[in-house]
This record gives sequence, structure tokens and C-alpha cells, in this order.
Amino acid sequence: MHLFESSMVTTVDGLHCQVYGNEHPKGRILVKPKYIPADKISSDALPYRFISGRKMNRLNLWVNKEKLGEYLANFAKAYPYYIYKIPFYKKSPLFFAIPKSKVDKIYSPRDGVRELMSIPVKDLDEHLKKIVEFVHFLMQSGLQLADFGITYSTLMGHYSPNMSDINIVIYGKEKFWSLMHFLEASRHKDLRWKTYEEWEEFYKKRNRFMIHKKEIYIKNMYRKKSEGFFKNTLFVIFAVENEDEAWFKWGAESYRTLGSAKFSGTVTDHRDSIVRPGCYILADAKFVDGEESCKDCEISKVVFYTRDLCMIAYPGEKVEVKGVVEEVTPKFGKRYYRVVIGYFDSYMSDRRDSEYLRVMEDRNGIQ
Amino acid sequence: MKKLTILAKGINLKRDYSSDIGYRLKGVPKTMSHFYESILIDTVDGFQCKTYSNEHPDGYVIVKPKYIPKEALDGDGLKFRFLFEKCMIRFNLFAEKDKLKTYLKQFRIKFPEYIYDCKNTKNWFFAVPLDKIKIVHDARKGLKELLSVPKKDLDEYLTLVIQLVELLAKSGVKADNLGITHSTLMGNYTYGKSDIDIIIYGKGNGWKILDYLKTARHEKLHWKTDSEWAAYYKEHKTSESSHFTEQEYVKHMRRKRYEGMFSGTVFTLFTVEEPGERWFEWHDADYKPLGTVTITGTVTDHYNSHVRPGYYGIKNGKIVDMHGEKVQIDKSLQIDRIVNFSIPFSQQALRGEEITACGLLELVTTNKGKKYYRVVVGYFDAYVSERREKEFIKARV
Repeated sequence: MHLFESSMVTTVDGLHCQVYGNEHPKGRILVKPKYIPADKISSDALPYRFISGRKMNRLNLWVNKEKLGEYLANFAKAYPYYIYKIPFYKKSPLFFAIPKSKVDKIYSPRDGVRELMSIPVKDLDEHLKKIVEFVHFLMQSGLQLADFGITYSTLMGHYSPNMSDINIVIYGKEKFWSLMHFLEASRHKDLRWKTYEEWEEFYKKRNRFMIHKKEIYIKNMYRKKSEGFFKNTLFVIFAVENEDEAWFKWGAESYRTLGSAKFSGTVTDHRDSIVRPGCYILADAKFVDGEESCKDCEISKVVFYTRDLCMIAYPGEKVEVKGVVEEVTPKFGKRYYRVVIGYFDSYMSDRRDSEYLRVMEDRNGIQ
Repeated sequence: MKKLTILAKGINLKRDYSSDIGYRLKGVPKTMSHFYESILIDTVDGFQCKTYSNEHPDGYVIVKPKYIPKEALDGDGLKFRFLFEKCMIRFNLFAEKDKLKTYLKQFRIKFPEYIYDCKNTKNWFFAVPLDKIKIVHDARKGLKELLSVPKKDLDEYLTLVIQLVELLAKSGVKADNLGITHSTLMGNYTYGKSDIDIIIYGKGNGWKILDYLKTARHEKLHWKTDSEWAAYYKEHKTSESSHFTEQEYVKHMRRKRYEGMFSGTVFTLFTVEEPGERWFEWHDADYKPLGTVTITGTVTDHYNSHVRPGYYGIKNGKIVDMHGEKVQIDKSLQIDRIVNFSIPFSQQALRGEEITACGLLELVTTNKGKKYYRVVVGYFDAYVSERREKEFIKARV
């Protein structure tokens, strides 16, 4: 089943969830719970928010690992129907999925932007005016209004002007890439990109500084045009896949986990690195270290669930990658091996700080 | 006895607290009487409404629509808002009258089930049939939830809300008897722009807080000064304020305590009636509309003037203007009450004060046979008729 990633779903029991993939099992929607009511389960390790008249925990995967583990164990007891084991895995990693019967409302980013753009400007607050202006600017790329969406707090209506980001969704990978090319060449008085210092600040957060070489990381982030500032408000542009361009089809492959390992290789294709889950095609992969069971695997794909890894590497660049190694058996075609980064359960273990993908050398061989 | 049971329980709804905001209807009661005023209700047709009375006719909740999806009706002349992923029309009874008329005409045609034609008053009300309710946003539960959020996780606006609640609780009214509503509850507030809307449950509690605020001191609490009210009068000319000189307006407003400023943010206090303290029952009388009049009288009771609908008990009521109509009245009957649906005329006069009011004169015949007259200010139909410019309530202050 296809449902656009980055859409929002509220459940009948009050959870606010973010759709976490474009391909979904029949009758269910894969999600990441974003806000969870604090009446059944709660954790002081997670931030609280007052949203829609309720006290909610914000599920932040970067809090203390043990406490996150405890919370998710409680979540599984309180909301067992949202825990999903994918049958195509020999042993499924943790996924969250909302059964159709538990869906209260699906918020469509595309419908949201269409509605927003239909409102007379005089009736908009500063935050919304800014978004309307930004969308008008992005439409100069040739994209149509139907190619855009808005999501998260702006869509749900609990944004704070001057504090909330602008989260734009682009429907279609080709459209997204063409928008990136437009932005590379664009000039607008209210558009600016993050400075070296701002990327440096970003680099210091989470575990990025433990993984990436600072100068290469910042240089690579500079070339991403999916994140910047418009009228001094941070914007992030996400790509979502149209049904006919999904890089994998639900149920077309089965997976077997072999272990955890580090590989090096050269990126040959990064077209699908803009979506979640995203992927890079790899050539000349070499085992660096890790579990023996992975040693002889010819890795041809790197799959990731964290948006941090979108567009981080370009074709021709040498990368190093560490994650879960899986044997993939397609229904049709040849068996292959892939490395996966960012399954939910990795956040509750040491894998959270050890899984990564980093550029070792750029196309000019500069390290 | 059956009726009393319903009253004691409030509305006979099964609550599912594990559901989304507030509670969700599982079974729809066939009849209903009490339902708190100023509560937000989402309907199955995507409307967001605000309850507009504490007492309701069987099978309906009297409301004022607050937001209606743009796609539903042509909203020319009304303001638009982007809410809950949709372009919504903010329904405003003070919109230009002709445009409001056009809008209401469409509304009646497309959503006749949301209009309650009342046999008792021979008037119409906006109302949500019980089977059209999707979600009731529980103001009391919302505040309880908010108070349980650690202060470190609250933004500036919500921090202010809690500080205000803490101040109000110093009156002796427990936080259990308070609630939050409108954008404060829904989370679509804008700090620096949105008001803080507080509900006080119980008329006694309402007066306790309003009296407490007459003398309360807090570094963030501020009441508009006379000159600020005068400036407000000049900037916000409404059909209501047009009946007052600047000086009269200031004198009326300076003594009210249902609206103030807390750290620069406007707050409004809405008192609602508990099930056992309603001052009327929907079907307990017949009301015959007689025409628009201006009356004078002396206030004998203002206890119910802080709720919606509220009333002022009066004596020596006298018609001083029939506005060109020939209203036939039985001089042996008294004009006993001035009933008010309009918040700006809440707490307008106190016991012992001379009062003047313009509104719809009704002959009331109770089910027990008692007859008297009352004047009603702020029925929905007034906003699309000549009464809109005429109606007011004024004390001699």
C-alpha cells in the first residue's frame, strides 16, 4: 500500500504520528509516534508537550538509551497493536504501524498547502504568510502547487510563529531534484543558507562529531539545498515518493539479518537518498571490520531510516558505512546484501552511536 | 424523577477517556438538558462550534459555529483561518450584516439540521444535533492535563496560563473548578496575540473569583485604566458601544473583572452553570415575541448576569420606546427580567441600579401558568435584523 511519508496521522487514542515510509503493509501505516498521551505511559526522560488539550510525551530517540528502552517497553505493553513485526524479515526489527481501525485522521501535506494557499493573505499570521511567500518562490522552479505539501506543526495547527520551522514536502523524486537544482542557482533577498558556524553547531549535536570528519561533513552539508532559512526561519524540504517511483515494493523482498559490520565502498547512485527510507547504491564494497558472518558479503546497497543521511554522499564518492548487514532475497531477481542504518531498535542499543555513513573521499579524491 | 437523574449527571454520554481530545460519543442520548457553555465541539461535518448556553433543548446542543470549512459555504465578508489542515471560515456575528445574511441563507439551505427552530420561543438557534457531535473538548480535563506538565516543558504562553490559574485559585476556588477553552485548549494559540480563555465552573465560584479580583494584586495582573478603556472605545466602535458615550462606556467597563491583562496577554473568564444551578429549563415555558422595545427598571438581582444566557431581575419595568411598533401589552403583568446572550452586556448592572435595555419583548407563560414579560438581548436573529443596531443594556452609573 502506498501512503506518502511525512504525512501526519492521529489515532483514536490520541497519538500524533508521522508517516515513516512511502510503502506500507496492507491495512496498516508505518509511522514514528511523535506525541504520545501521558495518561497511559509517561517518561520524565522525554520532553512533555501540551497539545490538543492533552499532556503528551514527545518521542525523542536521542534521550538516554536505557530510559528510551524502558519507555518503549512500556509503550509495547500499553499499545501492543502499534508494534509491528514485518513478516518478510526472518526476525523483524521494531516497527510502529497503525492499524486502519485505529486511524482517527490522516493529515495530508498536499491538501494542507492547497488550503493554505487559498486563504487571502490578509487573514494569515506572519508564520503562514512566510510559508505562502516561500512556496510562491519555490514555484518559480517550474513545480506546480500540487507538487508541494506542508507538514508537522504548521499542518497540525500548533506551530509557534517565530519558533516553528517551515517543513515543506515535495511530491516526487524527480521534482525534488529539479527543485534542488533550482535552489543551487537561486538568489532571493530572503533566502540564505546555513553559515559555516551554523553547520558547525549542527555538527556538534547528536553523535555527528563522533563519526564525521568535520571539514568534509560541513562541506557536504553546504551542498544540500534542502535546508536553509527563509526570512530568518529555518526551512527543511523533504522528498516523498510517488507510487510509481518507489525504490522498493512492499513484500517484493525478504530479509535475513547476518550481523553488524563496517564496509567501505563507492557510491554509484544517490537518486533515492532523498527519501525515507532512502538508499545509496554502492560498488567495490570491502569489509572493514565487524562480525565474521558478514565478512564475505558483497554489499550493493546502503539503506537508511534517518533523514540525517539524505543526500550526504554523491556518485563517485568513497564512503564508509556501519550498520546491520542483511541478506536480501527478492521474489524475482538475484540475492544481494545491504547495510541498514537507523532501525528503531538501534536507538536503544550501542548501535545508536556506532551506525553511520560518512564520506571518506570526495570525487576529487580529497580526504 | 427520571429528569432529575439526567440533570444530576449532566449529559448522559458515555465517556471514553482513552480517546483523542476530550471525550468521544459512543452512544447518543435521546434527550439532554445541561451541557456547559463555552465548550468546543467538533462536528462530523468538520465544524468547530462553541456551546452558547448551559441549558439545551432535547436532542440538541445550542452553539455558535466558530469555524466552518471554506469548502462548505461561500464565506465572502468573513475572515479565513488555516486550522487543522483546512481553510476555515471564522464565523463572526459582527460581520457586515448583508454578507452575514447571505451566509446564513446558504447555511440554512445546506445545513438545515444545524438550525433549531424553537417552538417555545418561536425563534431559531444554531444547534448541533447530538448525533452530529464528533468530539467534545473537555475544558476541565484540559486544564488538569496542562497542570500536570512539568514547568520546564511549557512555553511562555502556557506558563502564563498556569500562573493565572494559580492566581485565580487564591480566591479559594479550586483548580478543579476551572477549565481552559478555545485556542488555549486546542493548542493553536499565538503567544502575544491569543487571549487566555478560562472557564469557571459554578456561578458561586464565578462570583468568588470576580470579587477576589477586585482587590487582588499580582505583578502581572493589569486592568485597563480609564484612559485605556477610553482609547479602546474610540478604536473599537461596535453596534454595542454605539449606545454609550465614552464616559458611560468607561464607567461600565472599569468595574468588570471578567476581562483583564496578565503580563500583557488578555484573559477572559467565562462562568458556566453547574447542572443543579441552571436558572431556566428549555421547555418550561412558552415565549411569545411581541416586538422591539426599550425599557427601564431597577435591578433586583444580578446574580445570573455572568453566565450565558444570563439575566437581570428587575422591578418597576416600564416600556419607554416601542421603536415605531405598536406593541400590545397587558399592563397588569410585570416586566420581570432582562435576558442576555451577549458577553459585552454581562455584569453590566448591579442590584439597586437603574437599568435601561433594548431588545425583544416576550410574553412568558410558564408551564404552571404564570405570566410575565421579559426583554431578550442577543438572540441570533438580532444580528441579521434591525435589532442589531438597537439592542443594548445600560446601567445608570
